[in-house]
Amino acid sequence: MAVRSRSDLLQGTLDLLILKTLSTEPLHGYAIAQRISQFSRALLQVPQGSLYPALHRLENRGWVDAQWDRTDTGREAKFYKLTRVGRQQLEREVADWQRLTEGIALVMAGASGGTRS
Amino acid sequence: MNWLRRLLEARRLERELDKEVRFHVESRVDDLIREGVDSSEARRRALAEFGCYEPIKEAARDARGTRWLGDLWQDLRYTRRILWSAKGFTLAAVLSLGVGLGANAAVFRVMDGLMFRPLDVPAPSELFFVYRNPTNASRFSHPTYLRLASAVPEAQFAVSTPPVTMQATIHGAAQLVTTQLVSGNWFDVIGVRAGSGRVLAASDDQGKGEPLAAVMSDWLWERQFGRDASVVGSTLMINGLAFTVAGIAEPGFQGLIVGTPSDLWIPVHSQHEVRHRSSASTDDADSSAPWVPQEGVAWLVLLGRAPAAFDRTRLLATLEAKHQQILQARVEKMEDADRKARILRERLSLIDGEHGLSTLRERLAPALRVLMGMSLLVLIVAAANLANYLLARGAVRRRELALRLAIGARRGRLIRQFLTESLVLAGLGGALGIALALWGGRLLLVIVSTTSNPVPVNLPIDWRILGFGAALTLLTGLGFGLIPALRLSRPDVGDALKTGGRVIDSVGTGRFRFPLVRVLVGVQVALSLLLVVAAALFQQTFRNLVHLDAGFDRETVLDVRFDTRLAGFEPAQLPALHERLIAEASRVPGIRSATLGVVGPATGAERIGTVTVDKYVPGPDEEPRIWEDAIGPAYLSTMGMRLIEGREFDNRDHVKSQQVAIINASMAKRYFGEGSPIGRHFGYGEPNQFEVVGVVADTRANGLRLEVPPLAYFPLTQRPNEYARNLYVRVDVHPDAIRKPLEDAVRRAAPSLAIREVVTLAELTERTVATERMVSRLAVVFGIIGVIVAVLGLYGTIAYSVARRTNEIGVRLALGASPGQVRGMVLRETLMLVGVGVLAGVALVLPAGKAAGALLYGLTARDPRTLIIASVLVLAIGLVVGAFPAWRASRVDPTRALRTD
Repeated sequence: MAVRSRSDLLQGTLDLLILKTLSTEPLHGYAIAQRISQFSRALLQVPQGSLYPALHRLENRGWVDAQWDRTDTGREAKFYKLTRVGRQQLEREVADWQRLTEGIALVMAGASGGTRS
Repeated sequence: MNWLRRLLEARRLERELDKEVRFHVESRVDDLIREGVDSSEARRRALAEFGCYEPIKEAARDARGTRWLGDLWQDLRYTRRILWSAKGFTLAAVLSLGVGLGANAAVFRVMDGLMFRPLDVPAPSELFFVYRNPTNASRFSHPTYLRLASAVPEAQFAVSTPPVTMQATIHGAAQLVTTQLVSGNWFDVIGVRAGSGRVLAASDDQGKGEPLAAVMSDWLWERQFGRDASVVGSTLMINGLAFTVAGIAEPGFQGLIVGTPSDLWIPVHSQHEVRHRSSASTDDADSSAPWVPQEGVAWLVLLGRAPAAFDRTRLLATLEAKHQQILQARVEKMEDADRKARILRERLSLIDGEHGLSTLRERLAPALRVLMGMSLLVLIVAAANLANYLLARGAVRRRELALRLAIGARRGRLIRQFLTESLVLAGLGGALGIALALWGGRLLLVIVSTTSNPVPVNLPIDWRILGFGAALTLLTGLGFGLIPALRLSRPDVGDALKTGGRVIDSVGTGRFRFPLVRVLVGVQVALSLLLVVAAALFQQTFRNLVHLDAGFDRETVLDVRFDTRLAGFEPAQLPALHERLIAEASRVPGIRSATLGVVGPATGAERIGTVTVDKYVPGPDEEPRIWEDAIGPAYLSTMGMRLIEGREFDNRDHVKSQQVAIINASMAKRYFGEGSPIGRHFGYGEPNQFEVVGVVADTRANGLRLEVPPLAYFPLTQRPNEYARNLYVRVDVHPDAIRKPLEDAVRRAAPSLAIREVVTLAELTERTVATERMVSRLAVVFGIIGVIVAVLGLYGTIAYSVARRTNEIGVRLALGASPGQVRGMVLRETLMLVGVGVLAGVALVLPAGKAAGALLYGLTARDPRTLIIASVLVLAIGLVVGAFPAWRASRVDPTRALRTD
């Protein structure tokens, strides 16, 4: 059966996470998944089924560039690199994310307090 | 990576994805092993963590965004397999669609060429013609044109005569060409340039003295001169006058009259020298003096061009005001108050010039519309076949469809596949149809041509035709493919899987469920009946017309047509010339008698005069008109016309004796009332100079279909300035044997005379009903096609129905039914189907008949005999078609049938 259960929110967030992870250095798919898990102190586990479609989507949009290269162990892997446009997109998404979280936080606070003027 | 690359490199990308995923899994395994997990356990865990691989591939594919194309390719390959596996059906469907679409496109081509296509000139919407109401002539005099033109400086005006026949000397031989006299600025106003040399200019608008310029059409140049460049600048004799060929018009330009192409254009001012005297109405004027300066000769068609921004109502108002001024000046000195009032009542109107003028268009428009309707019917019948075919195939594949739905195919996907099938079929049919249209459109025109020259209406193949064809194809494919697609993809899955596909497709609910397939076949039968009825009606119309009593002998009289005036004969030479013609013709063996005529019956020419009649008082707005002709000796006996009263012309009637006339029965009835008209008088105003000496029975002078006009014949001997244009001979032998000897005889009598043609009166009269003949022929063709296609559909349906009920039939036979009973059952079913269709078709005849009523003659659409014969015919065909499956059904082997599912 075809799986179409991803919510848009999760999809967008994953894009952000991937872009951010790649902002330091080019990585291959497995490394990205590891890194996200690492940094989030295991709070976030990237579902494998979402990772590669997301990477391909980002590649289609031109936000990342892909290249086959050899890893330290000598195996061939596809490395993803952030493009200039991708970097701009990352900034945009970071700004959006901060706005979003700020807004949610405010609403959460406002529910138990008065209105700010 | 852009879209196109992703499309082309799909396979490579899939491989890469494979590699990537494998790398991912391997890396995970390595990590797990490093953490101390056992290798096989590590592998299991890694794979389990990764999850199902296929959805990832699917999702990645979706993300690539090129999925639909891959699906489409899959659909196409599947379609090809399906179509190939049922070759017979496919062929029948494609053929019937192709013919249906082709017929439509062919008729559309002709309609487009005649009616919709704007002229091929710059900004054709700016052009307009000026017409006079209520006069039918719609011509203006030259002085009036100049005055009207000066009244509206924002617009340009030009004049031309309608196309007329003239005699030109080409390569030493006299030939008839179609010519227009035009003002110098005519080409400029229309926007036509020269292909080589130059076209006429304002400087050509002067009297004689200068070498007169003529412009040749590209078509004539190619036809007669092989595009020889030396033609430009050479001298060309037209009606005995020398012209210099100043240039060739741009290729494709043939004048503004669609369907009547012009070969040459000469200056308006050459009218008198070139002896142009036709297509004019004179009022108080001398037609033998030069026409250009005369106010009383209305002979020019007025054309104008004004920028689109210029308000047409204002333009008309200005013209109207000026025209009234002109009319006032004209009637100032008139005494007859009635006539004055009548003239002042004249009004102008503007006619859109974008599509040119066309008598061909007027003549053919109603017929073409009816033909278009018929071809649409054929198309619907063919498309219904397509739908039935898809339904039948779909019903067979029901189980497969149910299975696909059960494992998760989306309904949209299935519908898409069905639509692909129907569109492919429609596309194939459409391609065939376009090919047929290219060939058929030309064929239609050939049928339409009435003159000896083919009608060169431009029928270019361009985006309109292709667009029309593509649109029809798409509509058919989508429209008739959608119904089966929607029906068959309904997810009543369990049902289909259980009963093995024997669920019936139907429309309606409850007690009134009609199987869809039968409805479609019923519609097909109804439409075929309509087509058959139409074919029969049009055939009968044509037969009615052709068998009308024309009033003269058609098979035994030949008409040699020429124009002595164009050949350059002077009036003084005429009596001798006429005598020579008759003498030489009479000498040819096989000729019983010979005579001359000027206008002649069924030639398309008319001469109309306004007369006053003794003791006849015209109504308030009436201008008594008669048609006229001048005839030679023994005319009535040569033509086989019947004299009712009085006498023929003879030696008593010469120039110095009493002016006489023979009138036809219609004229006698109209203007002379009850008593005998013999001895009474009529004329062109008091005193009435013509005495009626004979009354002849009516003839269909204007063609078979038109009303008989009141007609007066005058003796040529009393009209010494008349140029005869027809030599009539009555023959004893077969007409074909005598055509050549006749031509030779005429040439002997007058070597410089160009002969237009030699035809029997039968051929001439049949030309007047050429449209009816065309319609009847095409109606028969469409009728036959429609019936064949419907028969294919009917056969397919019955045969298929029998095949599906093999099981049931087996049961019946096993339980004791006789083969005859089984046959009867099938035949009854067929009969019901066809019967209902026939009834529906008969019901449709009434409204359809109203639409086409004008084309019929001698019978209405509700003619009971035609309806009965057509119904019986269709029923009989239906029974015959159903007989074979019925016979097959009765021969079913019960044991085998019971085992069949």
